Amino acid sequence: MRWTRKLRLRVRSLLRSSQVEEELDEELRYHRDHLVEDYVAAGMPPEDARDAALREMGGIEQRKEECRDARGIAFLDSLRKDSTYALRALRKSPGFSFVAILSLALGIGANTTIFTFVNAVLLRPLPYPGSDRLVVLREQPLRSEGTVNVHPVNFVEWRARARAFEALALVQTPPLNVMGSNGAEQIARIQTTSELFRVFGVAPVLGREFTEEETRPGSHNVVILGHGFWHRWFGGDPGVLGRSLAVSDGSLTIIGVAPAGLRIGVMEPDAYTPLPINPANPAEIGSRSFQCYGRLKPGMSLGAVKAEMTVIASALARQYRLDEGMGVFVSGLHEYLVREGRPALRLLMAVVATVLVIACVNLAGLLMARGIARRGEFALRTSLGASRSRLVRQLVIESLVLSMFGGAAGVALAYVTTRALVVLTAGALTAGTTDPIGLDATCLFFTLAVSSVTALAFGLVPAWQASHVEPQMALRERTGGGTADRRQHRMRSMLVVTEIALAVVLLVSAGLLLRTFSSLVRVNLGFQPAGTVTMGLFLGLRPPEARVALINQILERVEVVPGVEAASTIQFLPLTGMNCGSGFWLEGQTAGDAPAGQPTDCSLVSRGYFAVMRIPVLEGRAFDGRDRIDTSRVLMVNESFARRYFPDGRALGRRIRAHSSKEPLAEIIGVVGDVRHNGLTSEPVPTVFQLHAQRPGYITNLVVRTTGDPSTQAAAIRRAIQEVDRTQAVSGVKTMEQYLGDALSRPRLYATLVTCFAVMAVMLAAVGVYGLLAYVVTQRTHEIGIRLALGAARGRVFLDLFGQGARLVIAGLVVGVLVALGLRGVASTLLFGVTAGDPLTYLMAAAVFSAVACAAVTIPARRASLVEPINALRYE
Amino acid sequence: MSKPTDLVQGTLDLLILRVVALEPMHGWAIAQRIRQMSNEQLRVGQSALYPALHKLEQQGWIEAEWAPSENNRRAKYYTLTSAGRKALKVEAAQWERLSAAISLVVKPV
Repeated sequence: MRWTRKLRLRVRSLLRSSQVEEELDEELRYHRDHLVEDYVAAGMPPEDARDAALREMGGIEQRKEECRDARGIAFLDSLRKDSTYALRALRKSPGFSFVAILSLALGIGANTTIFTFVNAVLLRPLPYPGSDRLVVLREQPLRSEGTVNVHPVNFVEWRARARAFEALALVQTPPLNVMGSNGAEQIARIQTTSELFRVFGVAPVLGREFTEEETRPGSHNVVILGHGFWHRWFGGDPGVLGRSLAVSDGSLTIIGVAPAGLRIGVMEPDAYTPLPINPANPAEIGSRSFQCYGRLKPGMSLGAVKAEMTVIASALARQYRLDEGMGVFVSGLHEYLVREGRPALRLLMAVVATVLVIACVNLAGLLMARGIARRGEFALRTSLGASRSRLVRQLVIESLVLSMFGGAAGVALAYVTTRALVVLTAGALTAGTTDPIGLDATCLFFTLAVSSVTALAFGLVPAWQASHVEPQMALRERTGGGTADRRQHRMRSMLVVTEIALAVVLLVSAGLLLRTFSSLVRVNLGFQPAGTVTMGLFLGLRPPEARVALINQILERVEVVPGVEAASTIQFLPLTGMNCGSGFWLEGQTAGDAPAGQPTDCSLVSRGYFAVMRIPVLEGRAFDGRDRIDTSRVLMVNESFARRYFPDGRALGRRIRAHSSKEPLAEIIGVVGDVRHNGLTSEPVPTVFQLHAQRPGYITNLVVRTTGDPSTQAAAIRRAIQEVDRTQAVSGVKTMEQYLGDALSRPRLYATLVTCFAVMAVMLAAVGVYGLLAYVVTQRTHEIGIRLALGAARGRVFLDLFGQGARLVIAGLVVGVLVALGLRGVASTLLFGVTAGDPLTYLMAAAVFSAVACAAVTIPARRASLVEPINALRYE
Repeated sequence: MSKPTDLVQGTLDLLILRVVALEPMHGWAIAQRIRQMSNEQLRVGQSALYPALHKLEQQGWIEAEWAPSENNRRAKYYTLTSAGRKALKVEAAQWERLSAAISLVVKPV
């Protein structure tokens, strides 16, 4: 109540200032007239009375000023005046203003750009109600960092035992082949237990969720459509409920439509179908190949859930053999989704912040020099009665004005660079987020905050220094030499050393990331990606023999397509982040025993796979047409497997069980070279290869080696497949080189971005060194002139100044290298093939910076040595 | 004549509030009333009066309104607000305590 009135009064004072002034005038005039009347009444002649009244009133203007002060407008008023003055001062030195605003714009623009990504990926919550209560649950081998998918047995136990969850859902994502007007299409499908929508806190926009009954074994041919798919296939028809969706093996009744934008993890499903679980025997639907999402009860903390799940896991480990040595991993869903992007975004944020600090330090230096140049002006103002705080305020407002311009330019820059980066990085920065990336209110607020803090940070110290003038001193000696100057010089030197050090740290980081990238490019994959094209095949729920026959027919048909050299399949392609971990069991172990070795990958391939991928067969033979579903089981292993488990070198001919202890014994018939299956940076894992023709899977990937450009063959290959089976859809047509490109995109991005920022930093630091030295030369022109006139050699003068600059550069290099060494641990997770203390990188960084700095130092030093004594002295 | 600077800091505010509490008044009348009520002891010059009035108005303790005055000219009348009434009570009580305390000290033994 009271403050609203106050605000109104103050706003009135500010906006209707002329009216307020008039009223003030009238009020004081009224008082004066009364005073005059009083004096007249006391017998004074009117003329004298008027004079006496005026005398008593004192300076009317002073009174008015005091009233204005009381109204609290003086501060705002002078703020306005200072801003106008600041604008005028900046207009007067366009060169300085341009450099200042440009470097601020670069610094702030870079920060806003990266912050836009940080905001979208790390800060903005997931778009679901109560999204902070969404968690993802996975299983985690004890004493291991990695996590694995969830076993249905455990899901059923968790759901029965855990009290922390409001809802818990188990899902799997086998694709679905649907029949459209132009052939079969493979769509993204999620199979789920009944509570999925409740976990995400949403409800279908049309129809209903799955009932508990529908997620029990039995034939429940129902489907909920994804929102996008509903629009794409049914034109968003609201009467879609009850209609049927044709799939390769029958049809499904549509019972609902999911809300727009619902993503299960990162996937936006086209269709949802029930995942039937038999509570009496959950394991009949599979093993550790499911994802689990949960919604916590309100008020339940992540720590409490973790504690509860740990207790449950240890109980289950005693109860079930399959849970021996396994724990539970619980993470907030958002945190889990952004886990890959987070370290990089943090690194980039630190990098751009450093660039901004360098820009600010540079500006602080410039402002100090400007402060010295304007000392006369300040001295004059001080002698006219300006207080020191008033001068400081004036200067800080100048830097505020600068940084607001810089901020505005920075936002404009960020608007462009953000869009460019979204396109260029193709998702490498935004893993886990599918929201549009763009400048929003949070980002603009961030920019405003950064700009203001910047202004204070780089404006305050120079302002304080510049305002420290003694009028007579400044008016007397217009060129330096005083103690204030020396102190200022020392300070600027320190700023320049700081800048150099920071720039060197960034150069070192850029160098390390560039070397990481070049190590990654040169990494030996173990196979040849060039010339191969791949596509996903979902074989549907055919019986095993039919799945074998289908793949055989497809491979035979595809291999006669012109331009195709050879074709084969593998369940999970290398470099896609997918694998099937399991153990293996030696001959003599019985069913139910713990596996002989872990971790072991289990790969399901067709004959000819190693030839297609150009993976060398080191010992024995590769799978071929002799190995069929009705012949004795055979296996191949990779070199790591052979060396680790059969160090005697006699892996060939040994008999083991792979994938499950209930599998029949199979003979190792060959050893192949290692492949970096799980990514460029992960060492090859011991791997067992089983044959699709003997143990057919449901999902596989066709891999085709072609003679020409593989991407142009894809259409012909697809036609060939549909000639074999009209209902067979394919998905994800991609060359192996594209997968390699994806794997390299993030390291490439880091290296490129950090290098760009490091170059910016080096340029700014070089400008800083140059600026300081050029200033020193200007200050000492007089002295240098005298020295030259007295016979000093020009070379001597050059060396003198060059040495001064070189000392700063060397000091900066030393500090920078030490800081970089101190920060070794920070980025080590992003490095590969190079250690964070790599001496070569440090040397290169130092060399690069020295070369740039050399130019920055030489120019002013040379100018000093070319001073003409006559000219230098004449100016005095 | 007692100049306002001789007044204890903040006392002028108290005097103004007290006087305005009687009835809405313009600046000149406030100064006159203070003089009369203090038996001509306290003379508040306009150099202190008007800034104080504007400050009290900003604080929301008094409200201003233009109205015709006794000599038919427009004058700015100040009225005590409810917040001002509360402030007056507090300030007056404080003043009582303070003046009592001072007279205890100053009183000849």
